[in-house]
Amino acid sequence: MNGFSYLLKKDLKMMLSGKFFLLAFLSLVLYSAYINLVYVRLEQGRYPVYVCDPNSRTAANLAYISKAESRRELEKACADRTSVGIDFTAEKSEIYMLSSGSEKTDHYREIWGKAVLTGIENTKTKTVGLYDKEEKSRREITAEFLFFELSAVGFLGLASILFKEKQMGVIRVHGILPVRKSVFILSKLCVFLFSDLLFTALLTGINVGVSDSFMILPAALLQAGILSLIMALIGLICAALLPDFKQFSLFYLVLAVFITTPVFLAGQTGISWKWLRYHPMHHLFTAMKSAYFGASAASVLYYVVCLGAIVLLFCGAVGALRREAAREG
Amino acid sequence: MRRLKYQLKNIRRDKLCLLTFLLPIVVGALIRALPALNFQAMNEISFGSVQGDLSEEMSRWLQDSGNLTEYENVKELKAAVNDPATQLIGVLRAGNGLRVFLSGDEFEMYRTIGETLPQLYEKRADRAVFSKKVIPASEDFDGMKSLLIVITLVTAMFMGCTFNSMNMIGEKEDGVSLVNQILPMDARTYIFQKLALGCIGGIASTLATAFLCVRILPRQMAFLFLLVTLSAYFASLIGLLIGHFSSGMMAGIGCIKIIMILFLAPPIVFYLLTPADSLAYRLSYLFPSSAAFYGLMGLLNGQGEKWLLHLGILFAHAVFLTIVSKKAIFAS
Repeated sequence: MNGFSYLLKKDLKMMLSGKFFLLAFLSLVLYSAYINLVYVRLEQGRYPVYVCDPNSRTAANLAYISKAESRRELEKACADRTSVGIDFTAEKSEIYMLSSGSEKTDHYREIWGKAVLTGIENTKTKTVGLYDKEEKSRREITAEFLFFELSAVGFLGLASILFKEKQMGVIRVHGILPVRKSVFILSKLCVFLFSDLLFTALLTGINVGVSDSFMILPAALLQAGILSLIMALIGLICAALLPDFKQFSLFYLVLAVFITTPVFLAGQTGISWKWLRYHPMHHLFTAMKSAYFGASAASVLYYVVCLGAIVLLFCGAVGALRREAAREG
Repeated sequence: MRRLKYQLKNIRRDKLCLLTFLLPIVVGALIRALPALNFQAMNEISFGSVQGDLSEEMSRWLQDSGNLTEYENVKELKAAVNDPATQLIGVLRAGNGLRVFLSGDEFEMYRTIGETLPQLYEKRADRAVFSKKVIPASEDFDGMKSLLIVITLVTAMFMGCTFNSMNMIGEKEDGVSLVNQILPMDARTYIFQKLALGCIGGIASTLATAFLCVRILPRQMAFLFLLVTLSAYFASLIGLLIGHFSSGMMAGIGCIKIIMILFLAPPIVFYLLTPADSLAYRLSYLFPSSAAFYGLMGLLNGQGEKWLLHLGILFAHAVFLTIVSKKAIFAS
């Protein structure tokens, strides 16, 4: 037990000297700034309708209508490919618009423009969701950033420490020390798990709001813990097997681009591909997201599979480390 | 020149650099191969209904304006409307009209569409006489696609900084840079060579990607080349600074990650959100990637009138960073 606490202390020191916490803190600041200053303010307004009507042939003060003084102004306003222009200057009134590239959308814009002219009222519509737009965007983007940070960056952190130790010959020394390989791995996992959970709590607290965080965090921390353990173990195995950090970062690039991108695309746009359900990261991502939306997400099967994966990866990591120690003599 | 050749030969063995070089090209090829339809569907309105609920006329009317998906029962429809990733509008039948429900987290556009949809349906027979003038989108205009292409190109340009920074950090770790200090090569030559390395890599990668996925007119060629050269030079300077000041591979990768986010996110956000004559949009020129981004976007949309402004801003950025980095490197 004494040995374990020394190992923990050493790993923490290594993380400090590798500027790991500084980088994590910078990421935290960057993500939070992006969420609060940009993402929350994203809005897609309704299709603007511009009317050029110098002779007042229509009712002047209808809802949803903006005025254009001349045909030229009308054309300028419509250049954004979303606005609908209606021109009453000539004998025959004309709908003027630039195609958005989609026939269906153009059709909708046309009937929208016409309907607005005949007067439209804003009616209340039944809503079935629990969150308004801002709450939703905050939860959504926080879950996504967290997923990215844990899966791509956590993976890199543990590996960079192991490579440093390899360089310094620590693994060789461990080969003759009476410390078990599993304890060696366990201490690293603990340190990273702790820092990832802290990161999760901070990111959620800052961006979702403290009071909502208390509702979210139990579920979110569980998912973050699972993800953190799995990614750290994969990172450890790769770092033990690959000879140098450069090859490792190559692998990291492939992982970051090809493994997380489809998951993100599906999460952001709602496109669903059939093969996505064979993508293990997709399930981790879905579980993380539903934790933030308070949905009873994952089945028992999911947790069983996760636990199995963690145990398997742990055994794999012990094996890989043993092999590495044997090779180093 | 012979030394530069050696540098290029050296970098060729570096798999990481090779991969960052090829990555944008592969992505460019993928974007080109993707059918345009895929992207368009994302911009269209999506409606959801329950099987057998809507009359045929209603379904047809909805399908004229967007994409209609049918669900087995109301519960599934509700779940789909509630899914935070979608902007789906749930439509049910109410006698001869429509009834709509939303999840409440939609963008204003979709909320308005949902709230006014029943009225629009009632007015469908309203035949006010209008003539119609729709200016078609240029043949290969696809807003979403050009955005993706420009993002890829800007990434390729600023990836230039990985070539030389990774190379320099690698040399530092292997001890080559210590050997360099006792060789009769002065710092100026060394810096020049590393700068050229990033610049050549960035330019080659971007141009290859551009030729793969953009149809360039001959008269635009000079503008594109200048834009790419200036941005690649800028990125290469950044790479030089990262390589010079970061102590290890890990710190280098962390820096590159932050730089890439800083360079890519602002222009996309400002381009999408702020009108071109607002103050915020003008302030966004403080990011060097903005000028490159807007310039390329204009090139793709066929509005090339501001090209001189974009080149000028990029040039000013490049000059400014040259002076700053010269001071910083020689001071340390």
